Amino acid sequence: MIIKFMFNKEKKLENFKDAETIIGASIKVKGNFNGQGNVIIEGKLDGSLKTAANLLIGEKAKVTANVEAKEAIINGEIQGNLKVKNYLSIGKKAKIVGDVECGEISISRGALVKGQMTINSENPKEKEKKNPETPEQNSSNK
Amino acid sequence: MNLFVYDDFLNKSRYNRVLNKIEIRLTDLGLNGKIIRLGSIKNINSLVHQEVRNGAKNIIAVGNNETANKVVSALVDDSLSDLFLKNILFSLIPIGDNQSIARSLGIEKEEEACNTILARRIEKINIGLAGKSFFINKAEIIKPQIGLDINDFKIEIKEKNHLNIYNLNDNPQLLNKDFNFNKEKVKILINGKNNDLSYFQCDQVKVNGDAQLTLDNAKSINLPTNISLVKNKLNVIVGKNRLF
Repeated sequence: MIIKFMFNKEKKLENFKDAETIIGASIKVKGNFNGQGNVIIEGKLDGSLKTAANLLIGEKAKVTANVEAKEAIINGEIQGNLKVKNYLSIGKKAKIVGDVECGEISISRGALVKGQMTINSENPKEKEKKNPETPEQNSSNK
Repeated sequence: MNLFVYDDFLNKSRYNRVLNKIEIRLTDLGLNGKIIRLGSIKNINSLVHQEVRNGAKNIIAVGNNETANKVVSALVDDSLSDLFLKNILFSLIPIGDNQSIARSLGIEKEEEACNTILARRIEKINIGLAGKSFFINKAEIIKPQIGLDINDFKIEIKEKNHLNIYNLNDNPQLLNKDFNFNKEKVKILINGKNNDLSYFQCDQVKVNGDAQLTLDNAKSINLPTNISLVKNKLNVIVGKNRLF
């Protein structure tokens, strides 16, 4: 099955197992979709999409919506703003027309992004430097 | 007290032998009880309610999906108080074809089912509600051209898809899929061409269109209709290989 192949292709994608919602290629969803679990889109979505978990947009998907997720892998088309809390992977066939905001990002050669891009990543080492007292607090607690 | 509800198709002579075997097995196991036959009975609800009020605790449908659906619909009907229902155990002895409910509950056919009833492995299950009709497994439409309303969004389904709306899973292959089959939710599975699959879960869905929805492969209702689950409604005896 195509979805299975995608899951196993990259280690990061394993987080997408146990999907709560799958929008297949043969259906069309219109409206505001709000979810708590992982979402896979291979078909069409018009409206808005928000999930507290992970999002995978397949190569043939066409999404006309503002999208929010915790982590996302985009291989299809999005017309709308994309906000990803942590890791965002943009595949080589992805086409995004809208602003992109994320924590970490990887973009494959061939991907198209038309919009403003904001990456709010914080290096873990820098985080430690900013909060040096945290480990001492932990040791004093012991 | 055990109450066995025999479906009317079992009156055919070709089922005599299997019924005899089952009855002997039930007697050996000390599970015999009162038998009622649905052949001449039109109002099964009032009959089942009367037997429950008279002290029947284990209600065993003997037959197929239709039999199970009729008996469960009678048990969970609003006119029977939950006070009675909480002490009731439902079970099924599958005979003949159309056995997706037995498969879902993990109950083997005929004599094997008697052993499952004796083992009394009990699960409290939700019951599906489509309009005013109940279902145990699923509601389905083959090749629908319909729409679904879920919360704030709508789904358009093309004609060549197959729509299944599940309460309890009846398909062992679904256990190996990569989606979360949450038993507390209405689960919607749409199968399209070339293995295309869509999956949604929700508390309630409205099915719109000009078609008929088949419940448990036992009865049909007209659209539009709302589908939801009645939670923790019925105690049932299940087998080791149940699919939920």
